[in-house]
Amino acid sequence: MVRRRPFSIKAKGTLLALTLLLAIVFLASVSMGRVFIHGADLFTLVVNFISGNGTPLDLLSQELVFWWIRVPRCVMAILVGAGLAISGAVYQALFRNPLVSPDILGVSAGCTFGAALGLVSPFDSFYLVHVMSFGFGLAAVSMSVALARLIGVKAVMILVLAGMVVLSFFNALLMVLKYFSDPYEQLPSIIFWVMGSLSRVTWDNVLVMAPFTLVGIVLFIALGFRLNILSLGDIQAQSLGLSPVLFRRLLIVASSFMVAISVATCGQIAWIGLIIPHMARAIAGPGHERMIPITALLGAIFLLTADTIARTLSTAEIPVGIITALTGAPVFGYLMIKNRGSGWL
Amino acid sequence: MAVTLECRDLGFTYQNLPVLDGISVQIHSGRFCAILGRNGSGKTTLLHCLNRILSPDTGKIWVHDQDIQAMDPKKIAQQISLVPQEHLDFFPYRVLDVVVMGRAPYLRMVQRPDRSDYQLARKALCFLNADYLAPKNFNRISGGERQMCLLARAVTQGAGIMLLDEPTNHLDFNNQYHLLTAMKSLCRSKNISIVATLHDPNMAALFADDLILIKKGGILAQGPVGEVMTQTLVSALYETPLGQVSIHGHKKLFFPQTVLTGLTDRIETKDTIK
Repeated sequence: MVRRRPFSIKAKGTLLALTLLLAIVFLASVSMGRVFIHGADLFTLVVNFISGNGTPLDLLSQELVFWWIRVPRCVMAILVGAGLAISGAVYQALFRNPLVSPDILGVSAGCTFGAALGLVSPFDSFYLVHVMSFGFGLAAVSMSVALARLIGVKAVMILVLAGMVVLSFFNALLMVLKYFSDPYEQLPSIIFWVMGSLSRVTWDNVLVMAPFTLVGIVLFIALGFRLNILSLGDIQAQSLGLSPVLFRRLLIVASSFMVAISVATCGQIAWIGLIIPHMARAIAGPGHERMIPITALLGAIFLLTADTIARTLSTAEIPVGIITALTGAPVFGYLMIKNRGSGWL
Repeated sequence: MAVTLECRDLGFTYQNLPVLDGISVQIHSGRFCAILGRNGSGKTTLLHCLNRILSPDTGKIWVHDQDIQAMDPKKIAQQISLVPQEHLDFFPYRVLDVVVMGRAPYLRMVQRPDRSDYQLARKALCFLNADYLAPKNFNRISGGERQMCLLARAVTQGAGIMLLDEPTNHLDFNNQYHLLTAMKSLCRSKNISIVATLHDPNMAALFADDLILIKKGGILAQGPVGEVMTQTLVSALYETPLGQVSIHGHKKLFFPQTVLTGLTDRIETKDTIK
C-alpha cells in the first residue's frame, strides 16, 4: 500500500526548488538591463547598504539604478505575478471552470476604464489614475455580483454571465473614451495602460501593494483545503458543513481586491491568471492545499522573467503584457493537450 | 431504536409552486428507510430540507432533539452526511482526496487533513472493499465506482444519519445490488440511519426496513416495509395498476399489471412492432 502524506517530501522539494529558482531569476533580473550590474558590484551594493557605508563613486549610478529602479520593479513583478496567478487559481475553483481567469467578473475591464478616465480627465495626476482604476474595478465586480443576485437562480452560472455583461459594458465605455480622446497625447497612454507595464513602478507602489498581496497569498494558502470543498459545487459543499454563498463572497471580494490593486498599478497583464494555475496543477496535482503555494511561486517567476525580457530585449521597452500573452497562449494550448483525458478539460 | 431525525409539518414552495406540504416523518437509528415516489414528487427536495441545504417554509426539523435551524452548518454536517445525485466533474482529484473531504466538518477553517484523516478515509474505502480506487482519478472511474467513492466519503464523515439521493441511478444491474448491500451492512454494523430515495420499489422491498411513499409533495403512506408495501398503496403511488409476485413467502415484488399479463398470454406484439 502506498502511503502518501498530505504534504510529502516531494511536495516540499518542489516548493524549495521553485523558491531557489525565483531567487536566481531575481538576481539575474536586477543585474540585467541597460546598465549592467556585475555580480561583484551587486554584492558590494548590498553589503554597503546593510553596513551603512557610503557607496564608492564609480558605483553611484549603479546604486541609483539598483535601489530605486530595479529592486522595486522586480519586487513588484513578484507581487503582481503571484497575486494574479493565485487569484486565477481561486477563481477557477470558485467557478469550477478551467477557462476562468480573474477578469471574468469584470475587474480588469473596470480598472482599465477607470484608469483611462483618469488619464483623459483634465486633472491628470498619477494618484487620480490609480484611485479611479481601483474604484472602477471594484465597482465592476460589485455590479456583476449585484446583477447575479437580482437574477437569483443557478448561482455560479449566472455569476459568470453577469460578469460578461458588466465586462462588455466597461469595454464599450473604454471604446467610447478611446474614440473621443486626443490621438497624440491621451490615446497612446491608454493603449500602453491596456497592455500593461511595470516601467513606472516606485517604492511607494510597492509599499501600497505588498501588504494586500501578502495578506491575500497567506489567506488563500490557509484556505486551500476549503477551496477543494467549494470546488465540488454548492450542494456537496453545504453537506460538508461549508456555507458556499458566504465563502464565495469572501473569496470574490479578496481576490478581486488583489487583482484591482495590481491592475491599478501596472495595467492589464494578460494570461497569468489563466495559465499559471494550470501549470501548478500539472506539477502539484489539483488539490488546492498543495497547488496554491506552487501557483504563487510560478506566477512570480513567470512575470519576473517576462518583465526582464520586456526591458532587455530591445532598447525601447516592450509592454510586458505583450510578452505574457505571446508566451501564455501557446503554453496554454500545450497544457490543454497534455491534460486531455483527465476528465476536466 | 432511537429517533435520530424528525420533521413535523414540513412545507416547501418553489416559485409559488408547492413542492412539499405537511410532511412529518421520523427516522430511526440502525434502520434503512427508503423514500419512493414518481419523478418530480419532491423526494430530492425533502432530502435537501432534511440537512438544511434548503430551508423549508413551514415546519420544523430536529436532529437528535436539536432544532436544525439553531445548528451551526459544521454541526449539521457532523450529524448528517449526504451522497448527492449529481455527478458534476470537478478537478481531477484522486479518489482518496475526495474521500478525505468527509473530514471537513471536523477541521478548522484553515486546517488541512492530516495523516489520521487520511487513515480514516482509507479505512472507509477498505470497509466498502473499494481500497483499490484510492489512487485513481475521480473523473475517470465508472459511475458505480464514483458512487462507492462518495459513499466512502459519507462514511468518513462519521455522521449517524446518511442521506442518499437516488444512489442506484446510472448503476448497472450488478452494481445496484452491490451498493445497496454495502449500504445495508453499513446501516446495521455502524447503527446508522440511512435515508435513500429510490426509483425501483422492488429494490426498496428487498433492502429497506421502512418506507415513505411520497405523492405530489405529500405523504401517501409510511411505516415498516411489511405494512406499506401493498398492492393498493404502491399502485396508487405510481398511478398504474400493479400485480405482485411473492418471493421467499414474505417478500413481495411489484410489476405493472400489463407486463405480468403479457408474460402469461405470450407477448402478442410480434406483428405490431414492424
